[in-house]
Amino acid sequence: MTDDTTPTDPSSEFAGTDRDDRAHDVDVAFDPDADATPCAYTEYVERGEVAGLPATGEDAAGIEREVWDALYDVEDPEMPVSIVDLGLIYAVELEAIESDLESHEDDVHVRVIMTLTYTGCPARKMLTEEVREAAASPRGVASSELELVWSPEWSLDMVTEQGKSDLRDFGLSV
Amino acid sequence: MSVIDHLSGPEDLAPDEREAVETLLYRLADDEFVLAERYTEWQVRSPTLESDLALSNIAQDELGHARLWYDLLEDFGHEEADLLWERDPETFTHSTLVELPFESGDWADPIVRSYLYDEAEHLRLQALEDSSYPRLEDRVGKVQGEERYHREHATNWLERLASTEEGHERVQTTLDRLFPHALTLFQPVDPEIEARIDEYGIRTQSLDALGQQWLETVVPFLESLGLAVPIAEDGAVTADDLPETIGRDANHTEDWFDLYEEFTYTYHDLGRDSAERIMSDPDDQ
Repeated sequence: MTDDTTPTDPSSEFAGTDRDDRAHDVDVAFDPDADATPCAYTEYVERGEVAGLPATGEDAAGIEREVWDALYDVEDPEMPVSIVDLGLIYAVELEAIESDLESHEDDVHVRVIMTLTYTGCPARKMLTEEVREAAASPRGVASSELELVWSPEWSLDMVTEQGKSDLRDFGLSV
Repeated sequence: MSVIDHLSGPEDLAPDEREAVETLLYRLADDEFVLAERYTEWQVRSPTLESDLALSNIAQDELGHARLWYDLLEDFGHEEADLLWERDPETFTHSTLVELPFESGDWADPIVRSYLYDEAEHLRLQALEDSSYPRLEDRVGKVQGEERYHREHATNWLERLASTEEGHERVQTTLDRLFPHALTLFQPVDPEIEARIDEYGIRTQSLDALGQQWLETVVPFLESLGLAVPIAEDGAVTADDLPETIGRDANHTEDWFDLYEEFTYTYHDLGRDSAERIMSDPDDQ
């Protein structure tokens, strides 16, 4: 998530340079006259809630519950928060490979649909593989696959209340 | 029913649609990858620590975006090695703007280049927001969200650089050199395929329309900084305004082949025949 922030305040290097009021038609949001904030260039975007997202497995039972529990155990690579509470999981789908879910073991295929906070995430491979393995770990699951999607875009609004609490404990102001 | 629909892919396309989507993806991916490759040359060399971090982060963003587009090319059966490390450098379709080496130590160069490029990228992404190819449409919002500060960064720096005599001179010199190459951003890979990209709604604005919007954005802004934009007064772009090599049609400057050799050097030096992975790719499962 830290990667989702803008790295630096480029204007601070030349704090003494006068910015004039020359108009330019770049629709950027920077307002030099706005009150200073702890990190003026860090953009914690709120995009509004997306109905049904993130998926949290609230009503899941049986094998599906176990898959969700396994996903809850996967943490963000940088912060002690579950990736489910961070809001990265958009859907979990179970599919019976041969027969119905109730009567046979080891015949469920799990499909996880998730997003990442940042496209340039250097931990992408590590994290997605960990998630896929977690989804395949419960007894009764034969295989799993993972699909990355990029919309709806992840934003702070995707973080659950538990996730916000964990991030606050970690020292983030959310 | 899931909120997330599964996105239809190459298998749902007719052959001529596939070619159109692939051509568009190569344009996008190659621009982003090559520009990022160039930006990283400024690492530990930018004028201040903050500007170093900013440009490095912008490079990382562009690499992330290149990966999103190359990922979609992998859906068509291509592998990473074929897309980059073992690809014939004469098949890349990026604009020459992104392949030119930087003028040594001249900070005006990455700033002017970034400004010209990121304004163009902003427009071309807008033209993909309602793309008929769902996997493109799915990714555009995320990329746009990460692009905004690129323009903000370039704009702020341009204003500062242009405000002193020496800075103004450097920016003008850079602009004169780069502007013709920036025009190639809107040149066709192949006019017939580009027409199909528009016809099928994969891109909702033609290259000509995008180029015109871009000129309407960058020319007034640059002129407001007291800079002279090397273009006819009526804003018409002719073949005479373009550089000798335009990149898009896979003709490139010698500098591109040097850069290609450099970024593929280690791959070949280690005798590899596929892209090394730390762990298996979930997309491949």
